Amino acid sequence: MLGQTCRKITGSLNVSPRIEFKRYLWRNSICQQKIDITLKYTDEASGSKANKEPTLYEKFLKNPKSVPLITSRKLENCNKYRQPRQAWLETLSTVEDHKLGMLDLHPDIFAVHPRLDILYHNLRWQEFYKKIDYNWTPSRGDLDVSGGKQMPQKGTGRARNRNRSSIMFRTGAKPLGPKGPRALFYMLPKQYRVQGLCTALSFKYAQNNLHIVDSLEIPTDDPEYIQDLIDTRFWGFSALFVDDTDYMPENITYALAEFPSYNILPVYGLNVRDMLKHETLILTLAAVEKIEQKLLFHSSRNKRSSKFSMDTRYDQY
Amino acid sequence: MGIEKALRLVKDLPRVALNNIKNSPMDQKKPHNLRRGWGKNKTHGRGHKGQGQRMTLPKLGFETGHKPFYLRVPQEYYYEGHHLKRQYPPLSLLRLQRMIDMGCLDPNEVIDISSICMTGHYHLHVDRRHYGINLTEEGAEKFSTPICIEVQWASEMTIATIERLGGVIMTRFYDPLSLIALQDPETYFKTGKPIPKCKLPPTDAVEYYSDPKFRGYLADPEKIAEERVALSQKYGYDLPDLSESDKLSLLLKRKDPRQIFFGLHPGWIVNLTEKKILKPKAEYLQEYYHS
Repeated sequence: MLGQTCRKITGSLNVSPRIEFKRYLWRNSICQQKIDITLKYTDEASGSKANKEPTLYEKFLKNPKSVPLITSRKLENCNKYRQPRQAWLETLSTVEDHKLGMLDLHPDIFAVHPRLDILYHNLRWQEFYKKIDYNWTPSRGDLDVSGGKQMPQKGTGRARNRNRSSIMFRTGAKPLGPKGPRALFYMLPKQYRVQGLCTALSFKYAQNNLHIVDSLEIPTDDPEYIQDLIDTRFWGFSALFVDDTDYMPENITYALAEFPSYNILPVYGLNVRDMLKHETLILTLAAVEKIEQKLLFHSSRNKRSSKFSMDTRYDQY
Repeated sequence: MGIEKALRLVKDLPRVALNNIKNSPMDQKKPHNLRRGWGKNKTHGRGHKGQGQRMTLPKLGFETGHKPFYLRVPQEYYYEGHHLKRQYPPLSLLRLQRMIDMGCLDPNEVIDISSICMTGHYHLHVDRRHYGINLTEEGAEKFSTPICIEVQWASEMTIATIERLGGVIMTRFYDPLSLIALQDPETYFKTGKPIPKCKLPPTDAVEYYSDPKFRGYLADPEKIAEERVALSQKYGYDLPDLSESDKLSLLLKRKDPRQIFFGLHPGWIVNLTEKKILKPKAEYLQEYYHS
């Protein structure tokens, strides 16, 4: 009897629209799709190995020089008076630096005016929007003090006064002091945030601290491999690896777990502070595509053209 | 500073990190002056008693009760923007005939705005928003030479008088930079600047210059021919056949819409002392001047 009622309750809960929507989000999310794809490929691989075409990575392992590709990317809405920037396409599959090709990068994202004040505003915002000021000083009314007159109005040689909480007394209250937990939250205008990302990327590109990589797959999960790679390429003391999804290859996650200064991030976590904190920035090709698409979209968007709807937002998970 | 120049500078500067980013000095707000410094005690710079010390001064523009100046004088919208409008200082047909008779202008050559300015009897001031010549009707009865003339504004009557005598009139637009070159070519060539590319007329003038009735330079030549016939019928004169005249080559002379001087192309630099012309070689310049 009790079990039946429990099943009924859980049944009704599972049918509720909010939970259904969340499940629908998860199923359609790209993370889930990627898991499905990997599972599918593993099944196929276990089935027939002979018919499979060697992947780019496998071809490259056999002979690095047999994979010369010059990927000319198509840039969206490129200004005809500005030349696109060019960057090497590198790999993490060997310790030595082998170039796989050359890419075009959009000038409106990777060659924006190098404005330090926009970066300053972004950094300040990232610091302050989470801040809560807990300082609190008692005012006159908060002091635990008796309300009586301290001395007679006349007769003593002293100034006239009332109770001890007065600001003129040494032990009195502080006037207009900080009051209570105060949130310093504010939202920086969207264009500042978008341009902040673009300027950070432009600075990284201009100062040769940006590297583009085909994917974050490495042959071993040995931390020494990654350390040697970064040392031979002089990528510095800290590096930020950016992939397009939050589902990363296994080897790199285990390898980089040993190092606190080498970090991996999905595209949706990209922010100005992290880009400037780490000395080098390494983007995967898929990440570059996604970053360009998003930043171009938002830099030309205004309040008229943007209208919130759940249909347009679900794919950001 | 251009973006490209700035990015080139940034390449050689130290790595941008969290410890070397500052806000721009223009964005920093000045703190409110509390007037507690040396010499600012007691009255804090406010004087003694009265409205000045007690923060009860009246509003700006107040004149102790009577109607203040800024409310006395009403606004006059009639002349609003008059100093910004295009002006075409007039030149009558009478003066034009006189200039031809005195020998200042040669009727065997195309009469251009520059040839009229160089006579010295007509002045154009580009900084006063003068955009060219307005050929007026005064002296239409006395006008008696067939000429090929290029002006910026002409009425129906002037067009009729010139065409009746077997001449050709065209209306053409020049932008101010081109006019600076046209009104005094010698001084312009001495500056060493290249001949400018003439720009197209603004939106409110495009209609006039593409109208065949005013013989605009952007109008269809076939429609201009039709309008010539129509005008001759309206004013009641026989339209002379220009193909039989001696000066046919002269009357057919036209300038490209981007060209300012006859025989000279935009982008060229004229050196009068050495009697040479310098032409641009670079591809981007040629692309710009040919567009």
